[in-house]
Amino acid sequence: MSSNDNHHAMDEARAEVASAEALESPEVVKAATVAATTGPRRSPLVTLAWITPGTIWLLLFLIAPLVMILLVSVWNRTPTGFDAFAFSVDSYGRLFQTSVFATTLRDTIFRAILVTLLCVLIGYPIAYYLARCVKAVKFQIALFIVVLAPFWVAYIVRIVAWNPVLGRQGVINYFLVEIVGIVDEPIDALYFSSLAVTIVLIQVYVLFMVTPIFFQLATLDNASIEAARDLGATPAKTFREVVFPLSLPGVLIGCIFVFVLVMGEFTTVRLIGGGTIQSVGTLVYDYYKLPDLPAAAAGATILVAVMTVGVAVLLRFSKIREVV
Amino acid sequence: MTIIWYLVALAIIAIPFAAMVFLPINKSKPILLVFFLLFIVFMYGPMLTMGVLSLQGTTGSMTLPAKELFSFHWYSELQSTSSVMVSVRQGISKSLWLSLIVAVITAILSLTLGMAFRRAFRGSGILFYAILLSLMTPGLLLSLGLSFLLYYAGIAKGEGTVGYLPIIGVQAVWALPFGFLVMMSVFNRYDARAEEAARDLGASSVRTFREVTLPLIWTGVFGAGLFGFTLALNEFERTFLVSGSIITLPLQLYIITSSSVLRPYVYSLGVVTILISFLLIALFLVVSAVTGRKTTRAIEDDDGGSMNTSAMQAAPSGD
Repeated sequence: MSSNDNHHAMDEARAEVASAEALESPEVVKAATVAATTGPRRSPLVTLAWITPGTIWLLLFLIAPLVMILLVSVWNRTPTGFDAFAFSVDSYGRLFQTSVFATTLRDTIFRAILVTLLCVLIGYPIAYYLARCVKAVKFQIALFIVVLAPFWVAYIVRIVAWNPVLGRQGVINYFLVEIVGIVDEPIDALYFSSLAVTIVLIQVYVLFMVTPIFFQLATLDNASIEAARDLGATPAKTFREVVFPLSLPGVLIGCIFVFVLVMGEFTTVRLIGGGTIQSVGTLVYDYYKLPDLPAAAAGATILVAVMTVGVAVLLRFSKIREVV
Repeated sequence: MTIIWYLVALAIIAIPFAAMVFLPINKSKPILLVFFLLFIVFMYGPMLTMGVLSLQGTTGSMTLPAKELFSFHWYSELQSTSSVMVSVRQGISKSLWLSLIVAVITAILSLTLGMAFRRAFRGSGILFYAILLSLMTPGLLLSLGLSFLLYYAGIAKGEGTVGYLPIIGVQAVWALPFGFLVMMSVFNRYDARAEEAARDLGASSVRTFREVTLPLIWTGVFGAGLFGFTLALNEFERTFLVSGSIITLPLQLYIITSSSVLRPYVYSLGVVTILISFLLIALFLVVSAVTGRKTTRAIEDDDGGSMNTSAMQAAPSGD
């Protein structure tokens, strides 16, 4: 095998990598949307009729609430709520009066990054196993359904189910003390703690990582992998230069999902953290209950801003890879 | 000291990833298999523990070891006349009704949007992102924003006058991207030639839609509705701040778990909701299997040169 051929095959593999990465750009998403069109020609009025119900629903129950958060954050506070169109930015001042909000924001960002990284570390091998190691398609689909099924269980039930597992008398402590015996005393760090919250968050959100990576890996072209391997690339090199780059769009989508959802997390932190652990979500809720609606809105606005920056950084990161 | 434990845990978690990167697939496969099984334990273990604890007798506790296995005491407790259980049962029936309404709305919205996206139109990109935005919006924020809107509209919070619309609204928004993606995949496999034939034979577009398109895609619409039902039934954070005095099942569970002293009926209630969800998934799988077969058959018929029968039937009535 000449080195020329070798280069050629690697170039082809790289070209495929580039095309897969190009999928992330908005134009391509739009093109993909358009490519799904199978319908007959029709008048603009018919189009309008088809989009009207969905658009109204989205405007009313998605866009308007989000705009409202932004507006209320700069409106005046009243004892029961807010004074519409009376502008003031005091709400932001109230948030930063003490260091609680800033500290919690930092912790929340840190937790979101940590959970996202751990979800990649756990979710990627799972998706890889399903997509590349299970050969029979029927078996693959069946296993994928088994993996995905917990997503359909009420999220609050999944959190409640951790009750008997964590905790001083929980399954994990029982296992550690009675069976393995590596600790003499039950570990307190497993309940109402940052560790417990992190474990449960991973369990709740890891499927948002597994699914996109699985779809990306399952549709991956075997030829380029075999080519790289046949040409003498080590498994590590094949993975680094062919498989991983090709699966990157899936990883990226998974990271965006997990990061954003963990940033905005409320229920897990409240129920597993038991009031000792805070997130921006729980602080926003506390302000809402006071009631200090503008401060709650200001907290939520900052949350959205941080999420947007996070997503932008992730997208930027993938763009850099494309250039290199 | 704790830091060391965390690093050890991290190293263990990283083993399968490292194996995947550095070993050839036939060597990493056993490691990945073990990891996969551990992952299944991680995902299902807590629920399974909950299931076992829900089968305890009267003296059952909230933690292991389980006492007096196996008994249905805590399931029959769900039928008792205590005030908690009465409100739990009300929550269940309210949730089922609400989910049914959300299912119908999700199906209609997914169908109309799916039809719209069959051809490119101005602003389709923005609409596409708006649909996906609801996947990305944290539930609490959506709930918060809508509660502001209700307050602004003059409906004071906590007085129970908000009605069902806000709940249905946010739940359908949450289910919409899933239903929409189901419809997109249906239309991706869909063969438009039957429609064209009906149109060529003089059927109006309304008639074509009703008698050709809809019969071919109804299972997809049903699937979108099922997504809506399941997601609505389990929805908590989006509903949380806009429910007023209406207590759905997940809200009831939140109230129970965050306030009172817990008894194992929480577990039996959890198991019941899990069973309902799994039943719905099974139904969805059956329906999508039927859809797949039906669409394939329609295309095969067409390729065989014979015109689609539904188009034939539609044509005469089109006059």
